[in-house]
Amino acid sequence: MKKYHKYLPQAAAFLFLLTLGIIFVVPLLWTVLTSLKPEVEIQTLGYRFFPVQWTLENYVDVISNTTSAPIVRWFLNSVLISTTHTILALIVVSMSAYAYAKLEFKGKNTIFWILMTTMMFPTVINLIPLYNVMRVLRWVDNPLALIVPGLGGVFNIFLVRQFMLGIPKELSEAAKIDGANEWQIFTRIIVPLSRPVLTVVALFAFTGTWNDFLWPSIVMNSIDKMPLTPGLRLLQGVYDIERAHLMASAVVSILPTFVIYLLVQKHFLTGLSMSSGVKG
Amino acid sequence: MKNQIALAQTPNLSLKNPRAKKITFSKLVPYLFIAPHLILFIIFFAIPAITGIYISFTKWNLYSAPEWVGLKNYFEILVNQDSTFYHQLHNGLLNTIKYTCFSVPFFIAIPLLLAVALNTKTYGSKVFQSIFYMPTLLSISSVILTWIFMFHRNLGSINNILGINVNWFGQQPFTWIAIVIISLWWGIGGNMVIYLAALNGIDKALYESADIDGASAIHKFFHVTIPGIKHQLLYTLVLTTVAQFNIYGQPLMFSKGAPGESTRVLMMYIRELAFGSGESIAGLASAMAVILGLCIMAVSAIQFRLMRNKD
Repeated sequence: MKKYHKYLPQAAAFLFLLTLGIIFVVPLLWTVLTSLKPEVEIQTLGYRFFPVQWTLENYVDVISNTTSAPIVRWFLNSVLISTTHTILALIVVSMSAYAYAKLEFKGKNTIFWILMTTMMFPTVINLIPLYNVMRVLRWVDNPLALIVPGLGGVFNIFLVRQFMLGIPKELSEAAKIDGANEWQIFTRIIVPLSRPVLTVVALFAFTGTWNDFLWPSIVMNSIDKMPLTPGLRLLQGVYDIERAHLMASAVVSILPTFVIYLLVQKHFLTGLSMSSGVKG
Repeated sequence: MKNQIALAQTPNLSLKNPRAKKITFSKLVPYLFIAPHLILFIIFFAIPAITGIYISFTKWNLYSAPEWVGLKNYFEILVNQDSTFYHQLHNGLLNTIKYTCFSVPFFIAIPLLLAVALNTKTYGSKVFQSIFYMPTLLSISSVILTWIFMFHRNLGSINNILGINVNWFGQQPFTWIAIVIISLWWGIGGNMVIYLAALNGIDKALYESADIDGASAIHKFFHVTIPGIKHQLLYTLVLTTVAQFNIYGQPLMFSKGAPGESTRVLMMYIRELAFGSGESIAGLASAMAVILGLCIMAVSAIQFRLMRNKD
């Protein structure tokens, strides 16, 4: 009786997780299965979970489309935009966070406080004027419009600063005695020690840019310059009721994320708890 | 580099005294570290934020010079019942709020239950955790492409597996239910991980002493678990509400605002009025954006107050 009582919570938890887990996996599984069906099969045979005849022709069609829905091109655009943004964000964020965490200067607390307060500001108000800034800079329909504006964000600086505050003073002081200047202390001591938090920033910056939907659909209008995320919406119009083609495109768009996730899953999970922990 | 040279030439540097020069330069170094971000912040955040509020008081088509009209835009969308924009704001805001009220409780409760279940370290809990978290990394357009066919009336998995015949795209409340289901699938992983980390931080001794007192599982949940993760609950509640208020991609791609105008949210109107195919009325769209922004700020402020007062 005692033993039964001990395992009951775990068994109940398992059943609960299993049920929801199945619900979570079914859409992805069905998307993959549908993408492997010939288009006619969906139209004529009615509902089936598994394909009767397995085919890769939808993938061939979707990938070889280079005009109305150039999905490979979009994918490469996204890689370029997200990677450039991530590298620049790491530089800008770590420099700034270092100054707020470790250096003394006049106005430091005031500037930092102003930046923190603006985090509450609803960004929906910025959208229309930001488009105007892009027009003035002649960045409309230019990848720079997707790479640069996000670098002005504040949250990552806060996150990295909190981490850097935890690095013992003695380390940089010892380096100073050895004749290192601020830049050397920053690049050789602080940045290497901040690797865990910078990994998190890199992941946030990369996925944030990759998944951005509204802003790129406003500021980019040439089909061949689109990133993948807003591009997929155009695809809805191109393939319309060709469901297997739509599903194949969905799989093509999900697969890279899925692979990256399997590789660096741990960092994503620590990153999230890190970002909530500092507030809690 | 250019900055350093310019700064080194400032007149208050006395060349006679090299020591004074060194001290002044080292005082400037911190500003060089924060300058890149501050410049970007001013150009791409501060200026748009201020102009965003300014142009809500103007008539503006994105191209010509904005023309000051005072409170006219606000009058048009808030008071003038004959205006189509009045109805757009009300419909859009109402739908946005409806979706937020309907979805946020699930965005807190389901991840919390999942975290508690995962925390029992039952069989395969690491695998389950990965499954529930994965969708949060997908873009909204991938998510919709994955789900939209699931809800097809005759050919979709949902109606066929459950043996029902629901018109998910043409009849309320089913369209909202579908959108909430998709949104939950997409987003609950984030809160789940936060709660899981928080549960790990609760002192095990609290559970043990509750056990000695003979507390039931439900009693422990409400008197040990919930108070133990109070901060994370507040944090996720505010962030989730703000995130759901910005809903746009789901109704745009899933239902295109249908049936009728019932899933047309405020962001869709703002976008169409400012960047749609007709003549842009960016000034009025900005006024709508300001209203939406004020709602978001008000709701987070109220949530903070309520939760803090409970302490």
